Amino acid sequence: MMLQIENLHAEVDGKAILKGVTLSLGAGEIHAIMGPNGAGKSTLAYVLGGRPGYRITGGSVRFLGQDLLALEPHERAAAGLFLGFQYPVEIPGVSNVQFLRTALNAQRKGRGEAELSGGAFLKVARAQADALGLSMDMLKRPVNVGFSGGEKKRNEMVQMGIIDPKLAILDETDSGLDIDALRVVGEGINRIMRRPDKAVLLITHYQRLLDVVKPDFVHVMADGRIVRSGGPELALELEREGYAADIAA
Amino acid sequence: MTMLALPSTREEAWRWSDLSGLPALAGAPHRARRRPAALPWLDAGVRGKDEPEASRLLFVDGVFQPEDSNPGPLTIGSVGSSAHGHPLGKLAEGQGWSLTLGPDHATPGRIEIIHVATGGANHLSGRIVLADDAQASIVETFIGDGWANRLTEIELGKSARLMRAVRLAQTSGFTSLRDQANIGEGASLDNIMLGAGQAGSRIDAALTLGGDGAFAEMSGALLARGEQRHDANVVVRHAEPGGTSRQVWRAVTDDAAMASVAARVEVARHAQQTDGEQSLRGLLMKRGATINLKPELEIFADDVKCAHGATVGELDRSALFYLASRGVPPVEARSLLTHAFIADALSRIGEEPVRDAFIADADAWLGAAA
Repeated sequence: MMLQIENLHAEVDGKAILKGVTLSLGAGEIHAIMGPNGAGKSTLAYVLGGRPGYRITGGSVRFLGQDLLALEPHERAAAGLFLGFQYPVEIPGVSNVQFLRTALNAQRKGRGEAELSGGAFLKVARAQADALGLSMDMLKRPVNVGFSGGEKKRNEMVQMGIIDPKLAILDETDSGLDIDALRVVGEGINRIMRRPDKAVLLITHYQRLLDVVKPDFVHVMADGRIVRSGGPELALELEREGYAADIAA
Repeated sequence: MTMLALPSTREEAWRWSDLSGLPALAGAPHRARRRPAALPWLDAGVRGKDEPEASRLLFVDGVFQPEDSNPGPLTIGSVGSSAHGHPLGKLAEGQGWSLTLGPDHATPGRIEIIHVATGGANHLSGRIVLADDAQASIVETFIGDGWANRLTEIELGKSARLMRAVRLAQTSGFTSLRDQANIGEGASLDNIMLGAGQAGSRIDAALTLGGDGAFAEMSGALLARGEQRHDANVVVRHAEPGGTSRQVWRAVTDDAAMASVAARVEVARHAQQTDGEQSLRGLLMKRGATINLKPELEIFADDVKCAHGATVGELDRSALFYLASRGVPPVEARSLLTHAFIADALSRIGEEPVRDAFIADADAWLGAAA
């Protein structure tokens, strides 16, 4: 099992948000989590990424056999977890290239691998930027500064392509994208992550991303729990009928 | 031993200064009067066949070292400087170095000056006089330990251009600088400071834009840890119309250190179309550290554009988490963000080798925190 979440409880500022999430992802699988606003979807992503400010009050998470919750955020990344942000952060004064090279080499170092030289890194970066339709000029600019919403999301995918993680947790990567950008980003996810040894947890509000990135499993999250699970047909049903039945449940 | 009369912290311009170590240093002997084995020249002496030999001066405890120097157009001796009663500057009146360039002259390459202190106190003047359209670039570096006190006078003729960058890199003791400049019509002064050693400092400057359309930049990065104190007090006076001034200061303090910047822009009544900008920002690495920022404007003209901003904060937590989520360990993430913060000021150094060397010094300082 790639990721095994058991009865996970978490709170923010004393308020319980996750109230017993249980979910397993196997290698080669793409899972989608859908659900109404406030269901705890983004909290689940942040808790798995290790963002400070969330208190785990119960349950466990195992990632590739390790206790994920015992790892620092950067150690989770080095172990192969990638968190795609709903709102990618702007970092003035630090170029994308510098940021990503530092990140990639820190991960490689953490895994006991040799660091990439500047030239080798730029080659990898160029290939990923080309595939996502971002210019190298943009990668030389400060991280996400002056990027449009769509460019920030493409940049998340460029980062994912360069880092080449085992598991990607993508928090509303489709929000703020027009139809063309959605296709580019969706195809990026397929290209980078649709592999027998990888897995994806897609958090989304809408069916439209799932037309491009076809999930193997769809889960409905409501009030801090997974309330329903099914195959891809569940997403279509939710698109038609909404979450009313799940919220009432 | 002469009596040392120091300003009191009750005086507004000195309220954040810590001069308490100076009387002991003033009374102490110089320890070695010898230069260290390695000197941090930017230009390592390697140059192309057609490149002129750069000028360099070495002072140890304020004493000129001819065997390690190549004065070129610079002269050593009585400078005839006046600090106009400035309490620290006046101690440095008299002997020192001077650079006088005639109209349209430029120095052959960059001038480098290294000041080594070996304990005790040393006082020295510098005087830079550039005639119309003359141009020079000077880098000064302070190393060692002890109290190095400097008075620097700058006189720029019409359209003259001076680039000056100063690194404070003493391992202990104190460095005090008093800069006085008069900038003529269309002339420009770029004055950029880096405090990245372990010694305390006082940077004191009074720059006057004394001709139409003059430009003055007085910026810097002050990095302090332990009990270290940096204190900058800058007054930029727009005396004539059409002048532009920039003051970009970045302060970083760790542990129980303190950095203070008081930056003032004065605009005289007829100095219309003045464009003055001050950006003062501080970054606290620990709760016990202190940063004082005091931007001041005194404007008597009415057609003036003066922007100023002052903020003090900690590293952006969401940026730290974003970096961590990509695998950057906390120490590296902090140093990457701090580097970017300091670069706001140091990237204003126009000459690439100088900028690179200053940024490398700042990075070394940040690395030492790890």
